[in-house]
Amino acid sequence: MKEKNIAIMLGVMCFLLTVGICVQVRTVTSNASKMGRTYAENELRDSVLKWKEKYDLAYQKLETKEVKLEKLRETVSTSSESSETAKADLEKNNMALGYSEVIGPGITIILKDGELNSNKLDVSSYLVHYSDLVEVINALKNAGAEAISVNGQRIVNTTAISCAGNIIRVNNEKVGVPFVINAIGSKEKLYGALTMLGGYIDKLKDDGVDVDITQQNSITIPKYDGVYKYEYATKAE
Amino acid sequence: MKGKYTMIISIGFATLILTAVMLTQFKTVEQTDITAIETMRETELRTELTDWKNKYEEIEEKLDETEGKIAEYQSEISNSQENSTILDKELDETDMYLGYTKLQGEGIEVTLTDSEFKTIDRWDLLQLVNELKLAGAEAISINNERVVSTTEIANVGSQFILINGNRIPSPFVVRAIGDKKYLESAITIKGGYIDEMKVNEKIVNYVVKDSIEIPAYSGKINFEYAEVNK
Repeated sequence: MKEKNIAIMLGVMCFLLTVGICVQVRTVTSNASKMGRTYAENELRDSVLKWKEKYDLAYQKLETKEVKLEKLRETVSTSSESSETAKADLEKNNMALGYSEVIGPGITIILKDGELNSNKLDVSSYLVHYSDLVEVINALKNAGAEAISVNGQRIVNTTAISCAGNIIRVNNEKVGVPFVINAIGSKEKLYGALTMLGGYIDKLKDDGVDVDITQQNSITIPKYDGVYKYEYATKAE
Repeated sequence: MKGKYTMIISIGFATLILTAVMLTQFKTVEQTDITAIETMRETELRTELTDWKNKYEEIEEKLDETEGKIAEYQSEISNSQENSTILDKELDETDMYLGYTKLQGEGIEVTLTDSEFKTIDRWDLLQLVNELKLAGAEAISINNERVVSTTEIANVGSQFILINGNRIPSPFVVRAIGDKKYLESAITIKGGYIDEMKVNEKIVNYVVKDSIEIPAYSGKINFEYAEVNK
């Protein structure tokens, strides 16, 4: 009787061991493939970092060159009156292109995803969508904003806002909640226009998005770090 | 007898530990075997890599350009030239990027028209302009209004849309200069702009063109509140 018990026990043990070994083998193979993948990922990560570093270096170099260029412009502009006006116009143009950091009064709008409210028909209305950013920027332009940024990205004429899956990009840079939108202009006018009843911000609040608008005496808006380039457009006569 | 019991107990104990280890193994396997996320991460990394490469190339090009300008300025200074030609050249170039000059090139022309039942609203235009910019449009106009960095697109009543402070009626002719094939595919992609407009029963037509003219902005961008932060 006792021996039979031992035999059964041993049998069960052997069975469990076999199962255990099988599982082990599976885990090992899946780990191996995972390691292969992580290796590829790490390689990729390394090259991303490498290119980012190269970019950063080139950008720093560009900035010092630009300072030098600005000094030369200064020198040249003193040679004649027409050069002086040309330089002033160029400065204004560069400002409009977003090539300089600007400062002035304005407003800050902070958009955050709201709390889930099951009473709403559209279950995603409390989230901030890319379309909300497009609309708010447009509303700011309509209210006379002179410079706008979203999470540190300067809004220029070629700025597009895209959305792929959950990722929103401005100037091809990822941005996420909270969205901090800064705009320089008449702070009263911007604030008044944006908080208007029936306006877009009002609609966002109704949808359950968390909105915060404040007037600011001085905000700084960073410069655009991209470049303008025409490959298809040429001057028409 | 006693030895047998000890053996059974120790075997039982060993089995218990083995089972516990196995269970943990199972759990680990379940947790790590989400290949979808891993491959997504890899593709994400790949796009990130091309993005940085492109950005680097752009900056390198700009750097070359800036160095060229510096050289030109320096030669003007050493020649003690009266009127700077390079300054005028720079001014011209920035005028072009700001929309102060009429441009031409290949591109696409999209026409949005009010129907008896559905009118075109600002979002239809905002979305289209954003899609075209995303597809690399270099210049955009709506009817005769050039889209510049300060251009607003606002509803005024149901008859007009306000663009650059002017009331524009339907039909809205949106022109964009850029890679015509790229611009076309950007709006005709399945589930994209054209599809969405059709689902909403709005009238939209487009033509791809080898040569499109885009008017200059009639205003000037001015700054009353913003100044350069030095």
